[in-house]
Amino acid sequence: MAESEEEVDVLVQRVVKDINNAFKRNPNIDEIGLIPCPEARYNRSPIVLVENKLGVESWCVKFLLPYVHNKLLRYRQRKQWLDREALVDITCTLLLLNPDFTTAWNVRKELLQCGALSPQRDLYLGKLALTKFPKSPETWIHRRWVLKQVVRECSPPETDRKEQNGGEQRDAAERTWLSERLHRVLYDEMKVCADAAGRYPSNYNAWSHRIWVLQYMAQGDLKVLHDELSSMRQWVSMHVSDHSGFHYRQFLLKALVKELSQAPISSPPPKDCRPSPDPRCHQAHLSEQVNGEATVAAPGSPPPSPEEKPSLPAVPQLFQQEMDLCTDLIQSFPGHEALWCHRRHVFYLWHHWRMDHNQHNGQGCVIRSPKLKHANPGLSCRPHVVSPGAVSLEQSENRNGQAHESQDAMEVDGVPDPHCTKRLKRGPPCPPVLPTEHGFVASVLDGCRSPEQGRFALAYRKWLDSVIGQ
Amino acid sequence: MGTQVKDVVIKPEAPSVLLLDKHADYIAAYGSKKDDYEYTLSEYLRVSGIYWGLTVMDLMGQLTRMNQQEITDFIKSCQHDCGGVSASIGHDPHLLYTLSAVQILSLYGTVDVLDVDRVVQYVGGLQQEDGSFAGDKWGEIDTRFSFCAVATLSLLGKLDAINLNKAVEFVLSCMNFDGGFGCRPGSESHAGQIYCCAGFLSLTGQLHQINADLLGWWLCERQLPSGGLNGRPEKLPDVCYSWWVLASLKIIGRIHWIDKAKLRSFILACQDEETGGFADRPGDMVDPFHTLFGVAGLSLLGDEQIKEVNPVLCMPEEVLDKLGLHPDLLS
Repeated sequence: MAESEEEVDVLVQRVVKDINNAFKRNPNIDEIGLIPCPEARYNRSPIVLVENKLGVESWCVKFLLPYVHNKLLRYRQRKQWLDREALVDITCTLLLLNPDFTTAWNVRKELLQCGALSPQRDLYLGKLALTKFPKSPETWIHRRWVLKQVVRECSPPETDRKEQNGGEQRDAAERTWLSERLHRVLYDEMKVCADAAGRYPSNYNAWSHRIWVLQYMAQGDLKVLHDELSSMRQWVSMHVSDHSGFHYRQFLLKALVKELSQAPISSPPPKDCRPSPDPRCHQAHLSEQVNGEATVAAPGSPPPSPEEKPSLPAVPQLFQQEMDLCTDLIQSFPGHEALWCHRRHVFYLWHHWRMDHNQHNGQGCVIRSPKLKHANPGLSCRPHVVSPGAVSLEQSENRNGQAHESQDAMEVDGVPDPHCTKRLKRGPPCPPVLPTEHGFVASVLDGCRSPEQGRFALAYRKWLDSVIGQ
Repeated sequence: MGTQVKDVVIKPEAPSVLLLDKHADYIAAYGSKKDDYEYTLSEYLRVSGIYWGLTVMDLMGQLTRMNQQEITDFIKSCQHDCGGVSASIGHDPHLLYTLSAVQILSLYGTVDVLDVDRVVQYVGGLQQEDGSFAGDKWGEIDTRFSFCAVATLSLLGKLDAINLNKAVEFVLSCMNFDGGFGCRPGSESHAGQIYCCAGFLSLTGQLHQINADLLGWWLCERQLPSGGLNGRPEKLPDVCYSWWVLASLKIIGRIHWIDKAKLRSFILACQDEETGGFADRPGDMVDPFHTLFGVAGLSLLGDEQIKEVNPVLCMPEEVLDKLGLHPDLLS
């Protein structure tokens, strides 16, 4: 097709219009994509809408993109005037084709600030762009900016908080409405993150965005943290290579432990606490923990009686469950580095929490002082690592030559049982300690047929010796 | 049996010698295809693209083949009233392209082409109360931007224009249990972010804050059986991560912890013998970005056909010598 410049202009304008009409015709479009089609075969629009999927035939992109690209830049250089509606349409097309075009998102920020666009509409465009470009850094960056606007809109004005009398009921109703809206936004955002994480493995931008959302919109909200931890359990079990997914779990665990370890009932939320979807749930969900039966996502527990002590027992239980999960996955899916990394971090968190809360050992962890033994004496504790990383590991161990002595001295509690890493279900939780972990490594190495699994197990043992055992 | 390791297999016929002339031809020709659709697609990062191309040409001793006047005029026209530089004309200013612009002009020794005082003002203005840096006026926070800020100011000799203590405090708040760093507090360790944070701590004289053995361990675990390095566990090896991991190891004095010969053969295998240039992995499409990081990686590995590269700023050492800029490295 040898089009003149004029013909291209007409064609492209029609396509931009078709795209925006498609959104008007079907407000539920949930995915975009490119239809491989090197030439225009029929006399019809290259925009195809099937059910909720919007497709662009690939032949038109080489005309479409430069056109919208140049049009926006001419506007930006004040060489061509475009009204708001045209800007909305042009940036929409441009960003669906090239979502890392920062300046186009910035134009939409300005449109949003002057009221020509709603935050919802922009979050929706970003969501669609992510279905085709799930990593796109600029799309995630723009979402964070839009979410900040939403949170700001949903925050009650300062004066409302200070006023003690008058209009309190009206304010309360408004606050409830706003907090419900925030809750919906938060929930939708988690879905967007999960979808992008499913489309691209170890999607750094999606997972670090999800962390940001929790930090910004649900700081200290135990219910949200619990729900996330609970829903992530199945996800990580089905994505055992996804280091970012496991990191997110570690983040949740750390955040939960921090909240549960703070003197609960009396302490106010942290000063920098962002508006939580429901200001009351901080209190409410802490209360759920105090009966000591707390499990992950256990809603509806009865309120605590006054004499009950705060929530510490929940922490060992959380760690216990996480280490059990990790053990299961390592045994079921041998040779996955992400699982071993997860084990390092969870054990590290537990180890340090235990150090910090040494006085709380009345929770049932048996206090004994077993001698450290590697269950399988036939295996050297010096990894004969096949990876090129061997050099560094060897050196690292040499540097930490005293690791073994200090290990024995340090262990004051816990019963190592190399072949039974799972606790009996009854009795208080007692997550593993250093000797148990050495026992776990030995049990993995015992009869291990995957060279990768063996390599990761030995590296873990070395990590225990030089980082934890120091 | 175990799972297949995520790695590549280097074929026996893969390139194993350095094809410098081909790479120089590839870069010299890259900018001439300006009507290319791909060129439009990447315009949003143009100034950084020029930095990649010029730096690799300089490392190969071929900088004179690039059109200095045209490039300088272009960079000048990308500076905005606020002092920041945009990726191209008509785009919005950003710290990323401000650093690239300053790097480009430093290669030529002509930073005065820009209004330097305004650049310094722009960078300083992006620092937040907690010490972090926004990438532009819209407020996105990332440790990458902390690096961009101190790298820009170091090249201009104006590091005193910001609150350094606060800036360091923020970067350290992004350190993780594995010794690595993420984009924000609580974020996952990532080789690219680690490079930025290690570079940041080098330029600010704070490398002692790093646990070099622990971080070195994590970085070494990025090396795969093919010899290539990945950026995070269970990711594929990539030439650009080879640079970020290797440069970080150099900065913290642990570069001898990896198998250099295997890494060298991985990087060489990523060359395209026909077109010139490097790809992310053997057999993939080449681009200027991976070409710079392939060549720079080989320089760090001691290849004497290439000029010595500085691991912190990814520029030829001789350029930094002229500026009297010697970022700290751990021994």
